[in-house]
Amino acid sequence: MNDQKNMMLAIVLSVAILFGFQFLFPPAEQPVQEQQTTQEGGVPNAPAGNPSFAPQIPGAEDAAQKAVQTRTEKLDASARIKIESPRLHGSLSVQGGRIDDLTLIDYHEEVSDESPEITLLNPKGLKNAYYAEFGWSAPNVDVPTADTVWATDSQTLKAGGAVNLTWDNGNGLLFKRTISLDDNYVFTVNESVTNTSGEAVNLYPYGLVSRSGTPKTSGFFILHEGLLGVFDGVLEEVDYDDLQEKATKKIDPVQGGWIGITDKYWLAALIPDQSAMVNHRFSHYRTDDGLDKYQTDYLGPQLTAEPGQTVSFKSNLFAGAKELNLLTKYEDEIGVSEFDLAIDFGWFFFITKPFFMALSWLHGHLGNFGLAILALTIGVKLLFFPLANTSYRSMAKMKTLSPKIKELQKKFGDDKQRLNQEMMALYKREKANPASGCLPILLQIPVFFALYKSLFVSIEMRHAPFYGWIHDLSAPDPTSIFNMFGLIPWDPPQMLMIGVWPLLMGISMFLQQRLNPQPTDPMQAKMMMFLPVVFTFMLASFPAGLVIYWVWNNVLSIAQQYVIIKRMEKQK
Amino acid sequence: MTPLAFCAKLVVKIYQYGISPILPGTCRYTPTCSAYALEAIERYGALKGSRLALGRFLRCHPWGGSGYDPVPDKCDSHSCGCDSKNG
Repeated sequence: MNDQKNMMLAIVLSVAILFGFQFLFPPAEQPVQEQQTTQEGGVPNAPAGNPSFAPQIPGAEDAAQKAVQTRTEKLDASARIKIESPRLHGSLSVQGGRIDDLTLIDYHEEVSDESPEITLLNPKGLKNAYYAEFGWSAPNVDVPTADTVWATDSQTLKAGGAVNLTWDNGNGLLFKRTISLDDNYVFTVNESVTNTSGEAVNLYPYGLVSRSGTPKTSGFFILHEGLLGVFDGVLEEVDYDDLQEKATKKIDPVQGGWIGITDKYWLAALIPDQSAMVNHRFSHYRTDDGLDKYQTDYLGPQLTAEPGQTVSFKSNLFAGAKELNLLTKYEDEIGVSEFDLAIDFGWFFFITKPFFMALSWLHGHLGNFGLAILALTIGVKLLFFPLANTSYRSMAKMKTLSPKIKELQKKFGDDKQRLNQEMMALYKREKANPASGCLPILLQIPVFFALYKSLFVSIEMRHAPFYGWIHDLSAPDPTSIFNMFGLIPWDPPQMLMIGVWPLLMGISMFLQQRLNPQPTDPMQAKMMMFLPVVFTFMLASFPAGLVIYWVWNNVLSIAQQYVIIKRMEKQK
Repeated sequence: MTPLAFCAKLVVKIYQYGISPILPGTCRYTPTCSAYALEAIERYGALKGSRLALGRFLRCHPWGGSGYDPVPDKCDSHSCGCDSKNG
């Protein structure tokens, strides 16, 4: 009995940890810790072949300035090159030649198109600074810094066009940075150095994406938000809090690869020349006033500019929304492999990815993402129909047999041998060929999880409306039964925001359970009654699109099961 | 009960209480795979019990056996399967 109690306690705790924790205890603000002693910027990223000199990328702490200005003040205070693109608003900083001001035209903070555009990049010096910087590292050479004011040949950077930034170091080196932009979210940065001096110069190109302040993550354990990259075809994901502890994570030199920082829907990633051997690095630094700074960077190979020669290094910056078709398009165009892994497909990527494509296709044809969800669910159900059908059929049969089995158990309960024989005889007589079995059912779980996950991650669900009161499928159902769906002028607390769709979910789940045979274990039976309530509360805070998927899935299951049971009854 | 057996049973119980109720499917056998697993672990310990349960689980598919299939009384490597009885 004690065992049983312990077991129950352990189960409740596990389930609570699995599902409830992040819901009940949203991640707290990062406490201010003791300042780390590691000097971030001093950590060299030594490339192979030159042990005497360790080239340095400006570390996160170089950006540690007092953040007092607002974004607009900051932007107005410096000379800028305006970006003109169908998908991006923003500008480049002439000082430092940074890409540091970017908003996404197609995505807004709120459902309404009137609300502000999503701000992706912010200038250096702000509390939420987020920018990309490029440059050269070289021993005893005057190279352009983050404060260098470049000469420009244009005041605007148009989609499909380019701007040239130049800077002469006064000692025979002419630096040139050409930044171009495509119609979507990729900048191409071509850096060159022309050596007019009498001596050969060794230089290492670098690029970095720096972000200040730990962004709010959606906090669900099934989705990675933070730093990431793909090196030698292997995805590496680094959480913000892990990096706070580790300070630096270096990747062994690889050919090409990409590295960046991602939110649920947005990404800023560096894609260095895919033919070059590159060192990648993740790092974190905390300023004296407690501001966390995260940086991803790469350091390219040593390039030697002989007198009279020019060396150059090309890299790309992706800064925008993680639209799957765009990411795969860039895989081909830039030749960067596994760039689509920026979308967190998860362990079941081989199922999740096809679902993504199917959803996107259906969305294109049906015009409503909610309808696309319903259609895809039908598709998946059809796929499993033969399996589910045999299983329901036998379940219905077993259900009609259960009184007879109980009778047998009563009659021969003491004599197991006899009971066994009688049961077998009964199955034979009734031609009960039960269920498709546990193995196929468990094999289906990953498929439904993958479907669930693709809905959770899909950017197309963001701000996508459905019928009635659902204006954003990626947000929780805004209604609540506790104010009679808006009839009572009262705003219930978060816990009591039980909307119409979560309620329908609970009801449909309850109905579906009623069609299943009751478990014989009384504890299990009790759990079964309780579970729809638990799920109703739990799913109330989930994106409405997921709840609608779940309701629809239940409805389809019930319909299928109901038809089969009716048919069985008729046959009798 | 050893800690290992406790963990093994916990996994099964979580399935029974947390996952099974939201799945429409059911088992071809009686006792069900999960009940079988619990009994097997109880009687033969975590390792042997889990092996028995896995064997049962792998038999539980449309082309496998069905019907009454209890945890065997004596478990050696030859008598674990009970397919032969079910024909």
